[in-house]
Amino acid sequence: MSASANHNLREYEQIATRLRLHVVNMVAPSGQGYVQQGLGAADIFTALYFGEANMDPANPTWEDRDRIFLTTAHNTAIFYATLGERGFFDTNLLTTYVQDGSALEINSCERMGPFVEATCGSLGQGLSVAVGCAMAAKRQGRSSRYYVILGDGEMQEGQIWEAAMLAGARGLDNLCLIVDYNFVQSEGPMDLVMSIEPLNDKMQSFGFDVQDVDGNDIGALLDAFSVARETKGKPSFIKANTLMGKGVSSLEGLMFHQLRFPKEVADSARAELEAKLAS
Amino acid sequence: MSETLSKLEAADFINRTFKPLPRSYGDALIDAALKNARIVCLSADLTPPTETDRFRDELPDRFHNVGIAEANMIGIAGGMARSGEIPFVHSFCAFVTKRCLDQITMQAAYPNLPVKIVGFLPGVATILGVSHQAIEDVALMRSVPNMMVLEPSGPQYHAAAVQLALEHDGPVYLRMKRPEKITEDPITQLPLAYGKGVVQRAGNDVTIIAAGLEVVEALGAAELLSHEGIDAAVVDMHTIKPIDRDLILERASATGAIVTAENHNVIGGLGSAVAEVLADAGIGLPFKRVGVQDHFCEGGSTDYLLKKFGLDSSAIAIACRELMKRKT
Ligand SMILES: Cc1ncc(C[n+]2csc(CCOP(=O)(O)OP(=O)(O)O)c2C)c(N)n1
Ligand SMILES: [Mg+2]
Repeated sequence: MSASANHNLREYEQIATRLRLHVVNMVAPSGQGYVQQGLGAADIFTALYFGEANMDPANPTWEDRDRIFLTTAHNTAIFYATLGERGFFDTNLLTTYVQDGSALEINSCERMGPFVEATCGSLGQGLSVAVGCAMAAKRQGRSSRYYVILGDGEMQEGQIWEAAMLAGARGLDNLCLIVDYNFVQSEGPMDLVMSIEPLNDKMQSFGFDVQDVDGNDIGALLDAFSVARETKGKPSFIKANTLMGKGVSSLEGLMFHQLRFPKEVADSARAELEAKLAS
Repeated sequence: MSETLSKLEAADFINRTFKPLPRSYGDALIDAALKNARIVCLSADLTPPTETDRFRDELPDRFHNVGIAEANMIGIAGGMARSGEIPFVHSFCAFVTKRCLDQITMQAAYPNLPVKIVGFLPGVATILGVSHQAIEDVALMRSVPNMMVLEPSGPQYHAAAVQLALEHDGPVYLRMKRPEKITEDPITQLPLAYGKGVVQRAGNDVTIIAAGLEVVEALGAAELLSHEGIDAAVVDMHTIKPIDRDLILERASATGAIVTAENHNVIGGLGSAVAEVLADAGIGLPFKRVGVQDHFCEGGSTDYLLKKFGLDSSAIAIACRELMKRKT
């Protein structure tokens, strides 16, 4: 029986829709932002934070918690929405997103709290930190698992490959990389700039157990996490294929790094998501 | 609505108006490239935010987006420069300096190659937060042998800065800020002389030596002070290295008090450079450095950050008043 069968998928889908609604409401006031990534990654965040990871919002510094590193630190609307809904802080705080003085900055940083495991706005650095934590956990005999959400564009940074090589060489089976494969970087589609394909072959040759999943299928993601958990002697790599703008029909597939988000577009997105929640 | 949707791409967080901002730097680079066939343009996946999108579109065979890989970009530029090209490499200040300091020193500066390192988002002035704020970059670049460091005070000097960067036959760090709004009048480009600071305002009581966006703040401070009978001069020190030693010494003897103002940590940047000139000449005088006081910052709107971190005209005016008291 697959792991996802144990979960109430319908409930998770409702959570993901709620997170998407937060994304829309958080970005709308500033009229632009990381809407497309947030909507696209909502299912990854739901599966990881609500289904897979072992953590205690009441005790965010719990030593044996699983760690989640968001290395694309700009994908904050969905990140903060997830933390709020998961109970790390009051969701009312989400209304301060990107306002002067708010700790909910456009790029997440650890001044927000311990649930930001490392400050990663400079792309390409987070995986190394997670590898270091995973190695320390091995030496200390800790059971924690280390999850890293990477961007596909971010994987062009050389440091990613240095860290991946070491993770593979050390067989860090407490480490699980998830690439949010939305096929967009700042300039546009990945292959317009520099292809990182064949990505799965690369990761496999670096010593990773590789899974290729629909990153907008919560059940498939949960199954992949459980395979990763049971894989011994190797780190895991999950290529999560996501659709930018997922869940809002007018935005699905618009491949923009930053989206203008005028009021009429935000209003129709909100209406669509609210209708889905009510159904 | 479909018409709206086709226009939903936003270039970056700098441009919040969605009307095209002037590209003083980008246009100047194209003009220079049309005159000098050796110039090539490199981007590490930050093309519109570094004003190089026109270059990409109009001179595609001389433009390379090398991916999100800044350290690699510097090495590539070193190779191109060894092969006769003049590469202008682009990213945000934080990524194009701090992240690749070793590559800059060994592959651009030691071989003294004409690699022109161009950064945007100087200092604290960005909403993008601590990871994107460069408050150490001037200190780092200034300490690299052979490196020239330029920080023009506004888009009206960006074309001149490109010329100065080309005049220096070696590596250059060009630190710039894009305008945040569209100005009513077209920007008229003004000249700059190699290694010569510009006296933007004359004054006899105290001299404010500033660079980059702090020049405007310094002029604001001088205006505030003029209502209190304090006559402050403002120097635009667009070239931080090699610094205009003669002008600093002349200002020291003319006003007997110096305030520096920089959008950077107070350690190692413009303030340090001016202090070094004064100390080397054996001059002691009332002196104060306005800048980030050796702490990390946070993201926000520019006005908010300048006020919060003591970089605005009122902070500069306070420093000047203090020195006036120490003078007597
Ligand atoms: C070292 C570094 N270089 C450049 C940037 C600017 N930047 C921010 S996001 C981005 C594109 C990221 O693409 P990807 O990793 O695919 O993330 P996505 O937005 O698709 O989630 C770039 C180039 C940065 N933050 N850090
Ligand atoms: Mg991407």
